Amino acid sequence: MTKSSLSKPMGLLVSIVSVLIALVVWQILAKQGLLGKNFPGSLETLKELQWWLSDPFFNNGPNDLGIGTNLLISLRRVMIGYSLSIVVAVPLGLLIGVSRLASSSANPFIQLLKPVSPLAWLPIGLFVFRDSELTGIFVIFISSVWPTLISTSFGVQTINPDYLRVSRSLGASQLRTITKVVLPAVMPNILAGMRISMGIAWLVIVAAEMLLGSGIGYFIWNEWNNLSLPNIFVAIIVIGLTGILLDQFIGALQKRFDYQL
Amino acid sequence: MSATNDYSEVQLSIENVGKVFTSEPGLLRSLSRRRTSAGYVALEDVNLRIEENTFVSIIGPSGCGKSTLLNLMAGLDEPSSGQILMDGLRIRGPGPDRGVVFQNYVLMPWLTALENVIYAIETAQPSISKGNAKEQAREYLSMVDLEKAMDRYPREMSGGMKQRVAIARALSIKPKILLMDEPFGALDALTRGYLQEEVLHLWENHRVTVVLVTHSIDEALLLSDQIVLMSSGPNARISDLIDLPRIRPRKRNMIETNPDFLAVKQRLEDHLFRETRAIEEK
Ligand SMILES: Nc1ncnc2c1ncn2[C@@H]1O[C@H](COP(=O)(O)OP(=O)(O)OP(=O)(O)O)[C@@H](O)[C@H]1O
Ligand SMILES: [Mg+2]
Repeated sequence: MTKSSLSKPMGLLVSIVSVLIALVVWQILAKQGLLGKNFPGSLETLKELQWWLSDPFFNNGPNDLGIGTNLLISLRRVMIGYSLSIVVAVPLGLLIGVSRLASSSANPFIQLLKPVSPLAWLPIGLFVFRDSELTGIFVIFISSVWPTLISTSFGVQTINPDYLRVSRSLGASQLRTITKVVLPAVMPNILAGMRISMGIAWLVIVAAEMLLGSGIGYFIWNEWNNLSLPNIFVAIIVIGLTGILLDQFIGALQKRFDYQL
Repeated sequence: MSATNDYSEVQLSIENVGKVFTSEPGLLRSLSRRRTSAGYVALEDVNLRIEENTFVSIIGPSGCGKSTLLNLMAGLDEPSSGQILMDGLRIRGPGPDRGVVFQNYVLMPWLTALENVIYAIETAQPSISKGNAKEQAREYLSMVDLEKAMDRYPREMSGGMKQRVAIARALSIKPKILLMDEPFGALDALTRGYLQEEVLHLWENHRVTVVLVTHSIDEALLLSDQIVLMSSGPNARISDLIDLPRIRPRKRNMIETNPDFLAVKQRLEDHLFRETRAIEEK
């Protein structure tokens, strides 16, 4: 796809200008009182952001953690839950793609559980694990497992059958065909699923943590209780930027495995 | 099944083979995913004996079952009736004694030319060392004049180069028979002519048995010792066998001037015209 004639550095410049304009508009709207009384402007928010970033990792007890500390707590939960989901989703997706028995057995569960809101799992996690850390990981796992699972099995089902015929014609065993042909062939599908899964994991952790007592989500909840809107905006900015980085990381992997068939 | 004296020169023997397509779920479901119309009789009572080190072309109207027959020889599919013997033993699946070249190259796009050939070698000889496999892969790629393009990915190669890699890959498992399904069909005329010469050279220098499915009469004339004519499907059979003068090395102008070749050419054209008309009038 070709975008219009804007060159790359030009595009960047335009993006920067557009952000600056938004900040100015925000500041004006807030100062005019158009967003409600005491609504923070962009200047105030940026000042807060600078303050939080100047010392991100302090720890003055559970309700007073630096934003970096909270971010790391959240990232840790996401990484563990997300990794588990990939470790389960990829082999299971391959199996479901390859075997009708497996797909028929797994399908009712996938169909039923996939649309369930991640937060519905919270009470179950809390009941089973009686631990907010494990519950957070569990909720991330259960909500991010589906896209990778479905995308992987879809990839296997739509794999070019010629690859399989070539491999078979060389006398390859099924195991060898699966590890050396099917897996690389569906790598783009796996990564597309992983990218969506990552997005969901990062969305879900913020919501889940409001009920879990630590992490960046809880930070927002806590600042809401303190009625500190600027701090909430700070958290939103940090969450958004982190989300971009996570997404870009998998985006880079996708580029690496784009074979341009 | 024991080899009898009849088979002494015959390497591949197709005996009363029929193929009926029904939808049958395979273990790897995706392996068998193709057009399926239940109970379509593609081949009926096909008999053919292929002698060692000969070059045999199969020619027939579109959709008559040439690929089906080749897949049966490759062991990628099973006959519904009859049997196919390789050196007197019944074929029960694909094996490294038969190398297959597909029409659309089918290189693994995530592997370089060299890695594609290495994959084949390591599959056929699981105990080979990495270094040896690489060494051999280089040799086979040099045989098809690709020493300069070994590290290219399929997307970085022309159609002709890709098909040469596919030929090197098929030969690299040291098959006794090379099965090629319209290997040059997707190439432009010049590349096609060039690759035909190349295959001719390869075959003259490293005798293996070759079975070539083709649409092109000239290609069959240029390359073959024997041409197998198939009738149109359904219930396709082998309707004629033509032995060509075994003049080797063969040159392109020979088939345009030598009266024997010209006579065969006329016969092939008549046959294809008749069979194609039969299809169109159905
Ligand atoms: N898996 C299948 N299931 C059902 N029918 C099939 C299957 N494979 C092939 N056929 C049918 O069998 C007939 C022979 O097919 P085949 O591909 O062998 O023909 P072909 O001679 O190679 O044709 P072409 O010249 O177009 O390559 C066709 O009518 C085709 O539709
Ligand atoms: Mg065909």
